[in-house]
Amino acid sequence: MKVICPQDNLSRGLAVVARAVSTRSTMPILSNVLLATDGSRLRLAATNLELSINCWVEAEVIEEGRVAVPARLLQEFVNSLPSAPVQMVLNPANRVVKMHCLRTDGNIRGVSADEFPAIPTVEDGAVFRQPAHLLKEMINQVAIAAATDDSRPIFTGVLTTLGPTLSMVAADGFRLGLRSAELEGGPETETTLIIPAKSLLELARILPDGKGQDEMVEIALSPNKNQVIFRTASVELVSRLIEGQFPNYKQIMPKEWKTQVIVPTSEFLNAAKTASFFARDSANIVRLHFESGEMAVRAESTELGDNESKIDAIVEGEQSADIAFNAKYLTDALNVVESEQIKLEITSAGAPGVIRPVDSTDYVHIIMPMATSR
Amino acid sequence: MILHCDLDAFYASVEQVLNPELAGKAVIVGGDPRKRGVVSAASYEARAFGVHSAMPLSTAVQLCPHGIFVPPHFEVYGRYSKQVFDIYRSHTPLVEPMSLDEAFLDLTGTECGQGPAAQVARCIQAEVKSATSLDVSIGIATSKVVAKVASDLHKPRGFTEVPPGQEASFLAPLPLRRLPGLGPSAEERLAPLGLRTIGDLAALPIEELLRRLGKLGFQLWEFAHGIDQRPVSPPGDPKSISRETTFDRDLDDVGRLELVLRNLAQHSAKSMRDHGLCCRTVNLKLRYENFETMTRSHSLPRPTVLEDEIVGEILQLFRQAYDRKRKVRLLGAGVSNFSRGSQQLGLFDEPPSKQAAITASLDRIRDKFGWQALTVGPTEEIEQRDWRREDLSE
Repeated sequence: MKVICPQDNLSRGLAVVARAVSTRSTMPILSNVLLATDGSRLRLAATNLELSINCWVEAEVIEEGRVAVPARLLQEFVNSLPSAPVQMVLNPANRVVKMHCLRTDGNIRGVSADEFPAIPTVEDGAVFRQPAHLLKEMINQVAIAAATDDSRPIFTGVLTTLGPTLSMVAADGFRLGLRSAELEGGPETETTLIIPAKSLLELARILPDGKGQDEMVEIALSPNKNQVIFRTASVELVSRLIEGQFPNYKQIMPKEWKTQVIVPTSEFLNAAKTASFFARDSANIVRLHFESGEMAVRAESTELGDNESKIDAIVEGEQSADIAFNAKYLTDALNVVESEQIKLEITSAGAPGVIRPVDSTDYVHIIMPMATSR
Repeated sequence: MILHCDLDAFYASVEQVLNPELAGKAVIVGGDPRKRGVVSAASYEARAFGVHSAMPLSTAVQLCPHGIFVPPHFEVYGRYSKQVFDIYRSHTPLVEPMSLDEAFLDLTGTECGQGPAAQVARCIQAEVKSATSLDVSIGIATSKVVAKVASDLHKPRGFTEVPPGQEASFLAPLPLRRLPGLGPSAEERLAPLGLRTIGDLAALPIEELLRRLGKLGFQLWEFAHGIDQRPVSPPGDPKSISRETTFDRDLDDVGRLELVLRNLAQHSAKSMRDHGLCCRTVNLKLRYENFETMTRSHSLPRPTVLEDEIVGEILQLFRQAYDRKRKVRLLGAGVSNFSRGSQQLGLFDEPPSKQAAITASLDRIRDKFGWQALTVGPTEEIEQRDWRREDLSE
């Protein structure tokens, strides 16, 4: 293998695949990144068996070949190089990759590419397409609600339904995010998958943002339907699926409300953040109080002090109400609602609160309140 | 001014109040003298024979063979104690309970409303007597250490006031043993100096005490001069709550152990709820017959008050930790990592109120009719050996 590749391209490509590199010592091969020539591009690949990422970077391929190289060393070495073409030459006899960039040289010992696990790919089968920026926004709105601890594995996943619309739901037992959008080429009959939230967040990290971009992401299922593949022009991300039954979330979606409040999102978010500093020492409780066109956001710590912010609000239904939420759940939700104003709907201090953007129906965030004795 | 109020022979006096036949007799609270255990309290009549608390029951029966041995009734003592403490709290909010029968009261700033401290103290003695028929000895001084020594001086029904400025001269003639903070090991290290009175100790150069006792020497020197800066501090929220029991005979019957553990867990959980707290961590303590002690804890995904959940988690810890080949001497169950009165509700929970309602009803029944009124699941009520500090705050 002999390849010349701009340092910036190589560095960017390695950053994309790095998150799939395994740090577990049980399978040392997984701490490597695969380098393989592919036409006029260089393919970088990493996998931890749950998540695999392929990334193609533009390169001048002089001689074909493939090898697996310690990922961390390669990435650190490449990142330290000047912005100039990097030449990589593999000596097949001892699998040492000789690297050269201006006046810096390096020799990195690799491993046979044949030892590297095969990463599944999709050649045929149904493929759906979704604008990259939209998919990224959907993931960011939903995946925050997924559980990060493994006590109930099903909650670490995002229930994804592929049909005429693409819908994503995540919940950690205390809150739930639901987002839907039209799916281009979506099938009449729905298919549901549970995709690890971690994998989707990696995908969101890789995808470009900005609505001006018209890049599309292709979504496909592996032939044996246990893996999902997301593909852009230069990246392919393959994720294992989570098996099991997602709880019946439709059943817990509130059907009605007693008090509905409309407030500016950024003001609410600011007030919640301020309150969270005071709430830190008292179970993270932020109390909301609604009264005659105003919302008060309060927190108190018996030892440190207390705080209250007031926000003008349009209050419908019962005018006076109280509810308490975990500050983190509140700020997480307000951070991702893409709307200048939000609606907060509540029924009682012990029933779920619902946050929606005022101007659309495609996003819902549900938070269970905290029961307080006072 | 600071008051130290100490109920006279508390447990034994309550027994005498409840059962007038015991009045004037040698009453020893602690249970069956043939079993393992210690004296919890002795009436003044029994003390005359040298019986004192913490003495093995077997020794007590030798010293005082005609003594009347009664098992402790801690729930009853708890009620009496609460009554007395409520009287204390009606005179000042600054009440620091030291045990079920002993408390410091800070009367600073109450003089203009209630008159001088001595008058308040007399008033407290009379109120306690009329409400409970119990006697309380009171020491009045400018510091905790002097008030404590004073209350102890003329027991029972003691009343000792040490005017400001006379602390050192009050302490000076008293035997060294009366000085709080002077334990057996410190006493041993001071023995070569031949000290007899607190005054002897106060007269020593402080360097001498520092050399022999380190930091403790400095504190003792201050105490001996009647200097004590410690404030009277009402108890805050406890950091952990636990119950433990030592078996009369070491046990390896898993069924029995679990029955007892359930009960300990239920009591810990109830006490926690009485403080208006939720816990996130449950704790298990297990001591084998060879005194090897192991502790295990488990943290829950979120705070809880639920009896069912807490008992279940502690039982699970026990099942994981217990080595069935060995006999158990002591079992303990507890809760910690508290937050106050708030609980994150779950989206997919059972109707959230159901378990909570059960727990709340249990508590109401227990408060009204006692623990015997209702048991939850298979449990075995343990004989409570004493009260713990965390039960004293309200």
